[in-house]
Amino acid sequence: MDQTGLRFYKSSFLLPGLLVLLAIILFPLVFTIRVSLSGWDAISPGLNWAGVRNYVIVFGDRRFWEAMLRLSGMAIGTVLVQYVLGFALALLVWREVLFRRFFRVLFLIPMMTTPVVMSVIWRTIFHESLGPANDFLGLFGLGPYPWLTSANWAVAAVMLVEIWQWTPFMFLLLLAGLLSLPREPFLAAAIDGAGPIRTFLNVTFPMLAPVSIGALIIRLIEASKIMETVYVLTSGGPGTATETAGYYIYIRGLRDFEIGYAAALSITYLVVMIVLMTVIAKLLVRVLVGRSA
Amino acid sequence: MATIHLEQVGHSYGSAVYALEKTDILFEDGKTYALLGPSGCGKTTMLNVISGLLYPSDGRVIVGGKDVTRMPTAKRNIAQVFQFPVIYQSKTVYENLAFPLRCRGWDKARIAPRVAEIAELLGLTARLGQSARRLTADEKQLVSLGRGLVRNDVSALLMDEPLTVIDPHMKFDLRRRIKQASDKTRHTVVYVTHDQNEAMTFADEVLVMSAGRVVQRGTPQQLFESPCNRYVGNFIGSPGMNFLSVERDGDRLLWQGFPVFSDERVGRLAPGAELMVGIRPEHVAFAKDGVTGIPAVVQGVQHHGNVDVIDAVIGSERLKVKARSSLAVRDGPLRIVLPVERTRLYVDGTLLF
Repeated sequence: MDQTGLRFYKSSFLLPGLLVLLAIILFPLVFTIRVSLSGWDAISPGLNWAGVRNYVIVFGDRRFWEAMLRLSGMAIGTVLVQYVLGFALALLVWREVLFRRFFRVLFLIPMMTTPVVMSVIWRTIFHESLGPANDFLGLFGLGPYPWLTSANWAVAAVMLVEIWQWTPFMFLLLLAGLLSLPREPFLAAAIDGAGPIRTFLNVTFPMLAPVSIGALIIRLIEASKIMETVYVLTSGGPGTATETAGYYIYIRGLRDFEIGYAAALSITYLVVMIVLMTVIAKLLVRVLVGRSA
Repeated sequence: MATIHLEQVGHSYGSAVYALEKTDILFEDGKTYALLGPSGCGKTTMLNVISGLLYPSDGRVIVGGKDVTRMPTAKRNIAQVFQFPVIYQSKTVYENLAFPLRCRGWDKARIAPRVAEIAELLGLTARLGQSARRLTADEKQLVSLGRGLVRNDVSALLMDEPLTVIDPHMKFDLRRRIKQASDKTRHTVVYVTHDQNEAMTFADEVLVMSAGRVVQRGTPQQLFESPCNRYVGNFIGSPGMNFLSVERDGDRLLWQGFPVFSDERVGRLAPGAELMVGIRPEHVAFAKDGVTGIPAVVQGVQHHGNVDVIDAVIGSERLKVKARSSLAVRDGPLRIVLPVERTRLYVDGTLLF
């Protein structure tokens, strides 16, 4: 077989993957870009040409940018809490402890439940007069709290549910990281006379930095897509208090049926996210690994 | 500085067979010992028992007259260097070396001169300000060692194959620096290795281990010249000792019909024992003019720089000979001599004399 034939032969093996890639990533992306340049809405559906008019409107859309800001706050807030809690839980069941296997599985349960089902349950729990949350706090003379009907409490409720559901993911990644660490550095630290806090700060944490960065980034990306919890728990309310970018795009696109505008919002969201995530990833590496990496 | 006494110490992991058989071992103060043996022979187990990373299932560990059998590592005043260099990645070399002192609550004014002294000893002075992560593997290993040396309470220095992951061309230099440092500080050093060259050049005394037991203990020279059994003879030296099956003829021993040994004690040996004569490849000589020698046929020569390892056949047996390569031995017939003062007699695999 001559060189060209061989090259074609080899390249053809890439085809299945390439086709899937085209079908599920490239086509939707390109199509969305095209739609965002159209005035597709409920009145005049179809791919007419509207130029960058949608994008101009996006830039002046206060509600969208507020949603973006709110989303950033919620994502960073929940992910940080998840990281701290997940790390603590992982450290707890890392070493030889009683019922270690049982706890490891127990901690993973929230992650395994369906987000919508779980959100419905939490909505019940948070119900102002009938829910067990206020009942329970009432035992200590606290509350009742307007969990889902006051702006600040609703944000807290959404964040709480997010944290409850996704801490296990953090826990899982960090536990896997901890279990893969070599033994010697810990022995060396013991010989050097380091106590548990010094050992954590100088051995465990630095060695886990790469895993930490990975886990934080994955969770940040996931948290930026927060949707089910908001949809079920508060529907973005009260008012727009818990409305996130994804939920706002959903409202504009699938409830108001402004397909073209929603597409423009999506593309803007995508670009902002790519830029932000890149910056955050670089920052994390610099902070956790140090300048030289 | 202290003597280390393992009193009837043995260890088995779970219900498995003993990884370390019960033995009494004494490491004297200020001397350097090497534990030598193949992988899985129990050397690291013994080291971990001394350092306290492992509590032995039997016996007592006595360091400097104090029973430390159940004492945690941190309280034992022991420094250990591991196979893989351990450094604190996020710290500079200086901070790494200062770390054990900080853990012991020294104040800054005392730490600085001590760290400078140790850095000087290890030749790391120029590296003090650098991030430890950026060092080469051999420098990292020196930092690991330095963290042990910097403490003034260390009674013993344990090293677990510290040169294994170091590039060959850096090994020599690193070995010299470790040796220099340990000579100056005069700690009791226990050095684990599976590399005989390391053990022989580094230690005052070598303990050859096999299957959880110390097989022979002695100076490098003793191990080389009079290995106590076939295992040690084969393990030490490159290539190992030649073991030749001999037959008894009165007071004489015959190998392939040629007399190789003669002693009145031979005549008193119980009949039926398996008799072997051991001789180092280095000690086999070629017959000079006027000496009959034993006729041999050379069947292959390996060049090892300035020495050749010669594979010779005599009758039904093979013999390895080490000779200067300037002799330019070629394949073909040759006459060899086995000097009597270098031959050792083994009865049933154990050294007799």
